[in-house]
Amino acid sequence: MKYDALVVGSGIGGMESALKLGDMGYKVLVVEKESSVGGRMILLSKVFPTLDCASCISTPKMGATIHHPNIDVLTYSQVESIRSDGNGGYHARVRQNPKYIDEAACTGCRLCEMACNVAVPDEFNADMVSRRAAYIAFPQAVPKKAVIDRAGVSPCSYECPAGIKAHGYVARVRSGQCDEAFELVLESTPLVGSLGRACYAPCQDECTRGELEGALPIRQLKRFIADRRYGKDAPSNPQLPEWNGSKVAVVGSGPAGLTAAWQLARKGYGVKIFEAAPQPGGMLRLGIPAYRLPNQVIDDDIANLTAIGVAIETGTKIGDPSRLLEDGWNAVLLATGTHRPVRLRVLGEDKQGVTTALEFLRAVKLGEPVEMEGKKVLVVGGGNVAIDAARTARRLGAASVDQVSLESCDEMPAHDFEVEEAKAEGITLHDGWGIDHFDGGERVQTAGLKRCTCVFDPDGCFAPEYDEKMRKTLECDLVIVAAGMGADTEAFALQTNPNRTLKVDSATLQTARPEIFAAGDAVTGPSMITQAVGQGRRAAFMIDRFLEGAALDSAGFEDNLPRVDKLEVLRRQDVYDRREPLESHAVMNAAPVDFAETETTLTEAEALEATSRCLDCGVCSECHACVDACPADAVDLAMRPEEIEVDTASVVLATGFKLFPADAKPEYGYGKYANVITGMQMDRLLAPTRPFNSVLRPGDGKVPDNIAYIMCTGSRDDTVDNPLCSRICCMYSVKHNQLVMGALPLADVTVHYMDVRAVGKGYDEFYQQAKDMGAMFIKGRVAKITEKEDGNLIVRYEDVEGDGGVVEAEYDMVVLAVGVQPNLEVAGLFEDGALALDDYFYVGEADEDLDPGRTNLPGVFVAGAASGVKDIPDSILHAGAAVAQAAAHVERHKAMAEPKAKVTV
Amino acid sequence: MSARKIGVYVCQCGGNIGDYVDVDRVVEAIAKEPGVEVARTAMFTCSDSTQQEIITDAQERGLDGLVVASCSPKLHTYTFRDVARRAGMNPFQYTQVNVREQCSWTHTDDHAGATEKALRLVRAGVNRTRLTDPLESIVVETTPKSLVVGGGIAGLRAALGLAEVGLSVFLVEKKERLGGWVSGFKEMYPHGRNGGELVAGLESAVRAHPGITVFTNAELIAKSGSFGNYQATLAVQGEQLETIQVDVGSIVVTTGFDTYQPDEGEFGFGQDGVVTIAEFKQMVEAADGPLKYKGRPVKTLAYVYCVGSRQPEYEEGANTYCSRYCCNAGAHAALQVEALPGKVHQYHFYRDMRTYGTFELLYSEALEKGSAYIKYPDQEPPVIERDQASGRVTVTARDLLSEGEEFELEVDLVVLMTGMVPRENEGLTKALKLPVGQSGFFNEIHPKLRPVETVVDGVYIAGCCQAPRNLSESVQSGLAAVTQSAAILKRGTAELDPLVATVDLDVCEWCGACQDTCPYDAISLDQHAGKEVAVIAKTACKGCGGCVPVCPANAIDLQGYTDAQIRSMIDGMLGVSCA
Repeated sequence: MKYDALVVGSGIGGMESALKLGDMGYKVLVVEKESSVGGRMILLSKVFPTLDCASCISTPKMGATIHHPNIDVLTYSQVESIRSDGNGGYHARVRQNPKYIDEAACTGCRLCEMACNVAVPDEFNADMVSRRAAYIAFPQAVPKKAVIDRAGVSPCSYECPAGIKAHGYVARVRSGQCDEAFELVLESTPLVGSLGRACYAPCQDECTRGELEGALPIRQLKRFIADRRYGKDAPSNPQLPEWNGSKVAVVGSGPAGLTAAWQLARKGYGVKIFEAAPQPGGMLRLGIPAYRLPNQVIDDDIANLTAIGVAIETGTKIGDPSRLLEDGWNAVLLATGTHRPVRLRVLGEDKQGVTTALEFLRAVKLGEPVEMEGKKVLVVGGGNVAIDAARTARRLGAASVDQVSLESCDEMPAHDFEVEEAKAEGITLHDGWGIDHFDGGERVQTAGLKRCTCVFDPDGCFAPEYDEKMRKTLECDLVIVAAGMGADTEAFALQTNPNRTLKVDSATLQTARPEIFAAGDAVTGPSMITQAVGQGRRAAFMIDRFLEGAALDSAGFEDNLPRVDKLEVLRRQDVYDRREPLESHAVMNAAPVDFAETETTLTEAEALEATSRCLDCGVCSECHACVDACPADAVDLAMRPEEIEVDTASVVLATGFKLFPADAKPEYGYGKYANVITGMQMDRLLAPTRPFNSVLRPGDGKVPDNIAYIMCTGSRDDTVDNPLCSRICCMYSVKHNQLVMGALPLADVTVHYMDVRAVGKGYDEFYQQAKDMGAMFIKGRVAKITEKEDGNLIVRYEDVEGDGGVVEAEYDMVVLAVGVQPNLEVAGLFEDGALALDDYFYVGEADEDLDPGRTNLPGVFVAGAASGVKDIPDSILHAGAAVAQAAAHVERHKAMAEPKAKVTV
Repeated sequence: MSARKIGVYVCQCGGNIGDYVDVDRVVEAIAKEPGVEVARTAMFTCSDSTQQEIITDAQERGLDGLVVASCSPKLHTYTFRDVARRAGMNPFQYTQVNVREQCSWTHTDDHAGATEKALRLVRAGVNRTRLTDPLESIVVETTPKSLVVGGGIAGLRAALGLAEVGLSVFLVEKKERLGGWVSGFKEMYPHGRNGGELVAGLESAVRAHPGITVFTNAELIAKSGSFGNYQATLAVQGEQLETIQVDVGSIVVTTGFDTYQPDEGEFGFGQDGVVTIAEFKQMVEAADGPLKYKGRPVKTLAYVYCVGSRQPEYEEGANTYCSRYCCNAGAHAALQVEALPGKVHQYHFYRDMRTYGTFELLYSEALEKGSAYIKYPDQEPPVIERDQASGRVTVTARDLLSEGEEFELEVDLVVLMTGMVPRENEGLTKALKLPVGQSGFFNEIHPKLRPVETVVDGVYIAGCCQAPRNLSESVQSGLAAVTQSAAILKRGTAELDPLVATVDLDVCEWCGACQDTCPYDAISLDQHAGKEVAVIAKTACKGCGGCVPVCPANAIDLQGYTDAQIRSMIDGMLGVSCA
């Protein structure tokens, strides 16, 4: 794109520059980093000295800027770099940030905003109230289009191997939308109940609140929403997707198979699951004990699938999958898991009374008879399956349960809480021991143990070393070996890996036979449920693309934004309430006798309390409430930034200023004392779009009747490295005085000032008017503010104009007339040091006397407060000066370009 | 007649209107008026979203009239004309009703009354709109030339700026030489540059530019024509006085300021040992050694601020404004004195030290280098007396920074920090019909919306003729006037409102009354159907309506404000619908 002028920033200086250049007939591009043009002025109440409503002055300019035939505007965009094109012009790279809203479709109706479940401080109201993650910046925004604020993917959601929007359902629960939360999980997997109980919740390990008081119980919240849903009488009428004409066979009904079948069925495929076991569910059904995952929950989860037409054929073991293709299935997914136990390979392993955890747990879960009463049980293994077996044996009445683990307690692969719970249930752990042999007659009677000194070699491979001299013997009637599981894939006649898992393309999950895909533990080896779910989702995505004839790339699958930086999130929590985590819900019994669940469901109060602790790390929670709410289908979370290259003959920098951060003057207590606010906050309190529709103090909502202004906060002050006068603070305070006295006729207003600098046309008269209305002015810098218990503030100052001495005055609200700082971002737009700044880091003017607005770079101009603090009228005049010279530059540029063009012809 | 389809939008203006006027009630009542197709309220009618809503309504319902009841037409007439245009309506079939300045703000204590008044005002607007005809703007070709009046720093820079964007420029300076005040200054703050050299550089660039014609010893004495095509008459004093006429599209007035001349005795003025800052500057800059006044060494020096500025408003003809530059100039002068050999004790008697922005650095430096600042009470200015016998000059003042203690200071010299005053320029003011503000400086239309424009289209003001300013600020406003000129003239055409007076030639019996009353010389005598009639040049007519009531034959009507429309509005206010 080619322009005559690039205007960076659309505050009053930027708009004025663009409009005038546009009126002259030049093509102008305006780049604004916020979602609306207007800059800071539109946020003000009224403006001095005319007391015009800021909106009334700004909105027509904003509208004119957007609608001007010669002006293009990129909002929510940032200029990334500007460099000379070598011909007197400039080349700029602009990044257009995604609004996640189709601007053409958005009508500005704000339904997304109403629906959004995330509230964050509203920077357009000086952080005094909240806005939503989906929002329109302010009521007079131009363009009036929503944006969705996404800082990245929240760590919990990002970490979920199943791709579940953890933050999203937490946010939904927070708003009491439990059914919607359930539906959100369903977008990933039907196994809501199972995951709510048996998932090891990597999300919680990454929860940013974990860095503070403790992580949110994200898994238990999922259980909460599942239990609420399944507890209802009839499941809501599922919409049966229309059959798209293709059929997919899924072999195996574990987490991977069920998830893939669910995803494919929702896309309209005819799906049938073939399961070898007598009941569906795979490891959920056969491997996880009922005290962790009751069968009813698995049934409920599976009912989600059958309700949308997925057929499940149990007791059918599939051999060669190509037979299924011959039978008319268009594609086959193998998700048969790892149901082959790994042997210990020690002496005596074949004796009676030695079994495997897989066989044992499966028999118990399927209700087959298991003789356990009074037996001395020895469980071999240090993983979660071993713990499951040990705790199951305990529940079946074993006289004692001993568990032998090669790894020491710290290194055991089982989760710490599992180990703790096992110990609490009376299981004796022998950690750091290996099995040497089993003894006895036909039946096992003892196990010979030897000390394990090291489990893994330096490369991390399993290579146990033993101290052969340290030995002990344990008596046992029953040995349950949990030494691992392997895939059972021989019958498939497909290529396998050395460990017998199926060989697939890791991205597409396709086997060498294109119509046959494989997923889950059969591919990865033993993993967590969520990983298998993730594999199932991926397989379904790829099978769909394969059957649609599309290329099998991952574009569109898990196209996540980057994970949000947790430190960044913690930095945002300047002032957060301490919120304690929930107490553990596990009910431990030293001698458990049944398979009742050890954990109970959260109560609604607990769930709401828990969700209120969420820090909304990614800002947008991806809960999809906006997607559901938008009548124009304008929400598009797949949008990504776009880089735009621009050629321009001139550049006008109208990047404005920053306000002094009031907490950098700690003696004034901003951020600590609720009723100390900044001038900008007071402007918002007074604005026509004011947040509380009244002037009140933030601490307790009381209408103040005695307000103090502290001038020169952050200005004329070497202690904060700013010796300059900020020029606008006197006048905006005098303006506030008049507006406050109008809004609160009984309120007293006192200004603690150094000099009242009313230097513009009509300004001194405006100041006199405030005095005439009753504003009090006290000369002298305020030394310190302290807070009283009732929220009132004690202002300490030296009474230089009166009787001298230190005086303490009490006010119920204090407004800090904060000054101005340079916007340092502007220097970064140019190559190192190319743009000269002045001594105070404002954009430098090469000849302020005769060419105000001209920088050191030919063709680059500065308009308004970016060159040093200016009030609105002066910013507008300054912009006019910059524009006159920019136009002259463009004319010269054109004149230079023309003869050159002739030469090349 | 009531086949009209009018859209009515009543604005809440945040709470500016909505807090006092029950806008829902107004809309409810007005919706029943004949011809009103749609009536709505809006939080901000001027916001883009409501503009879009109006456009959608217009297109879906085929509106042919628009009434916006919000603020003063001074603010948003152009906004909503543009909305009407974008909506496919005729922009002149829109009526702005002022229910803010003339209703809600005036009746904050009477919500019911304000609501009733708003309803009547809106009904009047609807009645007027019902009688609107589609009018077309008068398009005139503009002259790509500008006239700059005043060859001081702002005028010089503006002339160069205009030429650099491709406009031809005539620069008129009353004096023999270009450069104004700045040409007489040596070191200027804050960049320490020499005023004379600045002017010299600029003047040579101006004189070298082929697009600029300079007239010195020249004045603008008359202006005719209309927006975009003015004929300016210049009186140039050469060997003999000649008048020259130039055609220009815009006129930039940069006639500058005068310094305040204190009355005899005011702050001791007129006595030996009391000088103005202008005189003092020359003294300091001429010094080739220790500071001397009339040959006497100056060891102790007092500056008295706010001489001729910030005068109490109860005084007759008071300059109530702050002159903006003096505090900075005082600090700068003190630093210049510090740079001279010999120690001078400098005392500054001030009210508020207004070294705004980066000028604070001058003040800090002056303080560091030993200047003492004494804050005197607003109501008790220092008293400066000279003992005629001893020749001693004393300053007596109360210092608010020392618990209001009164003290007397004997000084060698008192410098009065005299402010800026508007320059007497009656001829030019009359010739251009320039608006003069309360303080005597020329007035812009609006300091933020139209900061260099005056109520006379195409005539712009810049520099210190508008308000006290320093060098850079004057140049900035001069360049802003360049921008405004270019924004009008670079397009080549300008649009004028068609809201002008028209004569019914059949009725007119030329009497000349209208011509006598026209302030814009827009009416002339012509022949029509064998009789003498008045004709009105529509590009010169400003639509003021002055001629309408004086016509004994009632032959003149004002487009957009016809007698019928005015009558209908009166009826509307009285509660009558004119369907």
